[in-house]
Amino acid sequence: MHALIIDDSRAMRSILRRIVTDLGFDTLEAGHGQEALDHFEAGRVPELCLIDWNMPVMDGYTFVTKVRENPDWRDVTLMMVTTESEHGQIVRALAAGAHEYVIKPFTPDAIVDKLELLGLVQGEVPA
Amino acid sequence: MSTAVEPALTDLQTVVDDVWTSFLGGDEPLIPGAPGDTEVGWSASVTVTGAWEGMISVELPAAMAEEVCRRMLGVEETQDEDVADAVGELVNMIGGNVKSLMPGPSVLSLPVVAAGRVARSSDTTEVCRLDAWWAGSPLVVCVHLHGGHQH
Repeated sequence: MHALIIDDSRAMRSILRRIVTDLGFDTLEAGHGQEALDHFEAGRVPELCLIDWNMPVMDGYTFVTKVRENPDWRDVTLMMVTTESEHGQIVRALAAGAHEYVIKPFTPDAIVDKLELLGLVQGEVPA
Repeated sequence: MSTAVEPALTDLQTVVDDVWTSFLGGDEPLIPGAPGDTEVGWSASVTVTGAWEGMISVELPAAMAEEVCRRMLGVEETQDEDVADAVGELVNMIGGNVKSLMPGPSVLSLPVVAAGRVARSSDTTEVCRLDAWWAGSPLVVCVHLHGGHQH
């Protein structure tokens, strides 16, 4: 399975990459929403996207709405991973089509737990 | 119209501690303490606009910024571009969580990072300051209110 990590911080992409790689995902990365859409449009459609909210060029919320406009991409699991923790923002993202929401800072276990809930990983995870 | 609410020091400390524990390892805890003689190697800030208006900044010595970068990126060698990225992400997380404690709705800016001290508008007032030590070096996290709110 492929995970696309969308965050303008290389450090955060690195942290998330280590977590999902340990879970068996192959990873792609993008520094903003438009770069992530470019992956989709080039045929590199992942099973999972981990999406920051505040990014230059195209933010994560806009990215979610763009993905959900295309029925060919309806099976992609979208998980926000962001510092945006206002209730209204969480509701907006979920209403736009995000499946899950993780607030930074997070522990690796928090990501794993969400992915288990989504059925994308199962059982014991390698340390 | 924004509200001149300020975060409590204990709340700021909890936010910073959560970020440190999550991403920089619990083996080297962050210890609140007296202000150190900080030679600011790197600093970063984010601003919040909306129902609450303020700025959150982080200042840390160069060696600490490089260690933060090594731990977040999982690398041995650091380059300035990566250090700036890591310090920016730190203030993004701290600022985002401070924003969540304040009246909303509001919007968080992208981080501004500088080698040295970031510029700060003269129209701001420091309302909360956390001095802490990590791995034997001091760092400072501050919250400023915009618009010259006085308390």
